[in-house]
Amino acid sequence: MEELKIKLKQQIIDSLNLQGMKPEDIKDDAPLFGDGLGLDSIDSLELMVLLERNYGIKIEDAREGRKILTSVQTMAEYIQQHSKI
Amino acid sequence: MKQPLYILSACSISPQHSYDMERFLNPVISSDDNKLYVTAPDYAKYISPVAIRRMSRMLKMGITAGMRSLEMAGIVTPDAIIIGTARGSVTDMENFLKDMISLKEEALTPTGFIQSTYNSVNGWLAMMTKSTRYNQTYVHRGFSLELCLLDAQMMLAEATGNKYLLAGGFDELTEEYFIIRDKIDYYKDEPVNSRTLLSHYDTKGSIGGEGAHFFTLSNDPNNATCAIHGIAMLQQPSSDALQQAIADMLEKNGITNDDIDVMMCGMNGDVRNKFLMDPLIAGCSTNTTIAAFKQLSGEYDTASGFGLWLVHYLFTHSSIPSDIIYKQGSSTSVKNVLLCNVTIACNVTLMLVTSS
Repeated sequence: MEELKIKLKQQIIDSLNLQGMKPEDIKDDAPLFGDGLGLDSIDSLELMVLLERNYGIKIEDAREGRKILTSVQTMAEYIQQHSKI
Repeated sequence: MKQPLYILSACSISPQHSYDMERFLNPVISSDDNKLYVTAPDYAKYISPVAIRRMSRMLKMGITAGMRSLEMAGIVTPDAIIIGTARGSVTDMENFLKDMISLKEEALTPTGFIQSTYNSVNGWLAMMTKSTRYNQTYVHRGFSLELCLLDAQMMLAEATGNKYLLAGGFDELTEEYFIIRDKIDYYKDEPVNSRTLLSHYDTKGSIGGEGAHFFTLSNDPNNATCAIHGIAMLQQPSSDALQQAIADMLEKNGITNDDIDVMMCGMNGDVRNKFLMDPLIAGCSTNTTIAAFKQLSGEYDTASGFGLWLVHYLFTHSSIPSDIIYKQGSSTSVKNVLLCNVTIACNVTLMLVTSS
């Protein structure tokens, strides 16, 4: 799980071009949107594409997507349970 | 033109140090591989870290030039934003198309798609200036900027209360775009040092360039540096038709050939343009200094924007840099300037700019 979270953080940094940021700068439980990482709605679409491209996970339900994309922790847990790659 | 377009400020991001006017041509930036890319300023001054991370180079150039032009004129929210671009954000389009192919049209990211549209710079500028009014993009190859300026002129001539507009043009150069255009002899086969471009008029093609040039315009002459009194576009004219168009423009404005202090020429070094350029230069008055700018900017569809910025520079500095002089004339003042841009396709645009 720890390895997956570090890998996921790096993928988030690369995908969203978070310049100057390292995986250790993102806390596992910090909110990705709003006060935490400060991501926006376009970023949420980018993260959904990231899950589809890298883990074969397609999020169809927006409400479910919001829960999954709460933090790195929630994303990693969902990936562990549903990854098809 | 019934209503002159008064230029309050101008900002250019080009291969030269045009963003920082005090460093302009000091030194002259040149290249030996037929490509002139912009000298990038600090984009972070106008664009937040959150926004800048997903922007392509073109977006950053356009937004920064637009915001800086408004800032220089002291305008926070313009009455309209009008832009001309021939290709829009090419990098974003290339990235999106590459993703479409490699991912078999599935799992495409939204950023490339959103920002590949021609009007994404306008959209960002509107959001950043909180401008909810007229917002237009002209996409007409070598006439894009001139059509944008004509629209601005008509809007300011109408009694609608509009007073300050932001207008400008931009286009970018990418490696792939260079390869594609090179196939239609847009660029020279032989490597040319950009500074010597005008001594290579015996072969086809030019050198690639890019830039973003924005102008804050008004119908009010107060605080204006200069004014555009005439704009003309000619599609593949004969040499005689070009001479006639210039004569008509001068006559309409009550001036003669001898009154032109500077002819700012968009000479691109392409042998296919020689039949237009040679008679044009030969027909100039001995008073007129002939200046050239594409050895500094490279050739692209909205390169006339750099020419117009340079004209504005002449008015603000009241002198002509030696690096742009092609032939010295006897006139010692800068009062009337004729900007003449010629594209590879032999389309010509003219602008008559005078001190305000």
